[in-house]
Amino acid sequence: MKNRYGLLSSLTAIALFIVLETVAILMVVNGSVVQRYKVLGAVRSIESWFWARTSKLTYYLNYKTENERLAAENLQLRQQLAGYAAAQAQLDSVVRIIEPEYTYIGATVIRNSVDRQHNYLILDRGEKEGVAPGMGVVTARGVVGIVSAVSRHYAYVISLLNTEQSVSAKLAGSGAFGPMTWPGKDPGRAVLAEIPVHIEAAPGDTVLSSGFSTIYPPDIPLGRVIESKISQGSSQELSVALFEDFRSLHNVYIVRNNRGAEIQELYEKAR
Amino acid sequence: MKRPADIIYCILLFLLQLVISDYVHLGPWISLCLLPLLILLIPLSRSPHVVMLIAFGLGLGLDILSDGVPGLNAFAAVLAAAPRKFLYRLLVNADRQDKTEVPLLRDNGLLKYLKYLGVLTAIYLAAYTLVDCISVRPLGYIAAKFLISWVASTALCLLLALPIQNRS
Repeated sequence: MKNRYGLLSSLTAIALFIVLETVAILMVVNGSVVQRYKVLGAVRSIESWFWARTSKLTYYLNYKTENERLAAENLQLRQQLAGYAAAQAQLDSVVRIIEPEYTYIGATVIRNSVDRQHNYLILDRGEKEGVAPGMGVVTARGVVGIVSAVSRHYAYVISLLNTEQSVSAKLAGSGAFGPMTWPGKDPGRAVLAEIPVHIEAAPGDTVLSSGFSTIYPPDIPLGRVIESKISQGSSQELSVALFEDFRSLHNVYIVRNNRGAEIQELYEKAR
Repeated sequence: MKRPADIIYCILLFLLQLVISDYVHLGPWISLCLLPLLILLIPLSRSPHVVMLIAFGLGLGLDILSDGVPGLNAFAAVLAAAPRKFLYRLLVNADRQDKTEVPLLRDNGLLKYLKYLGVLTAIYLAAYTLVDCISVRPLGYIAAKFLISWVASTALCLLLALPIQNRS
């Protein structure tokens, strides 16, 4: 009887082991950030409140660097504005008011990870401010990630520093484009792949966003080429030093593509 | 782990693991894990079913609260928890006469305790690193990350196991 009980206990333990491991693996494979975010809304609200406060403390400790960075960005924007003001005179004859393709929502990073294979950020802007899943997140120094889920006041962003994330990028000179991904080691390095072998890519060449997706605007500077190597004999793989320092991210812009829905509708029709 | 002080100690360990996961940035080459120590601290009298369920709960809790990949720590924790008693008998107490609830460094000596803790941590980290990095990272990186994380995590767990050695 004791042996039978022992055998039954061992069998149920093995069955439980298989069930738990299967559940865990299924969660890893199908793990949806959106579901997790919604199911744990209450927990997330408390955590976000706490993170918002710790983020403020970190900001005050690093405010000098952040201010310098914002001042440099301000200067660049003022120069752009001066250019636009000059162009405005020529546009006066245009009667129709052109709606800009992209508009921006300013946000602050309250949570940021850079050391994992699947990094993420949490921003202090949510549904209330018009943020929606699928929107891009950028700074003046590069692409940051894509909004994956939103609550009323916060947005969960899958970082570019995620081995499953890619951004369409191009070389500034030639315009040759390909997917840029993060290989998972250094938060300051990415890889631009699928560049044809006949394209000359020299160290120091600038890499920009291509604008071929509806997520990010074109021509955002992303980084500089460090080196190139031939991949599988048919294309080049360029190692890129990112301009954005993900460790010190604080102020970011969420990108709303005002024509995104129209483009998406066109895709649906073409299918 | 029946006394309130021991339970508080375990809760503090779990909170420390959360702080490490969320705020200690050591780079992509290292993962510090304390869950193997928590699994080791579950009384030996508990059935494998209970141990696996506790390990699953701890792992999933960590995955969710530290915004990791859901199921990653849960998978590794269950894999380390399942052979726990077998490993204890194999590495610490072969004659099965031990009546202790929780294996302590003081009772078993440094070498045996370290072997037991080291093997549990190795199983945990091997599962964690493989599932996290497989198909996206080269094997060399996975092996290096595992080795660095294993040495660091075992050392940290050993250090954190010291306060519990003086329990009566």
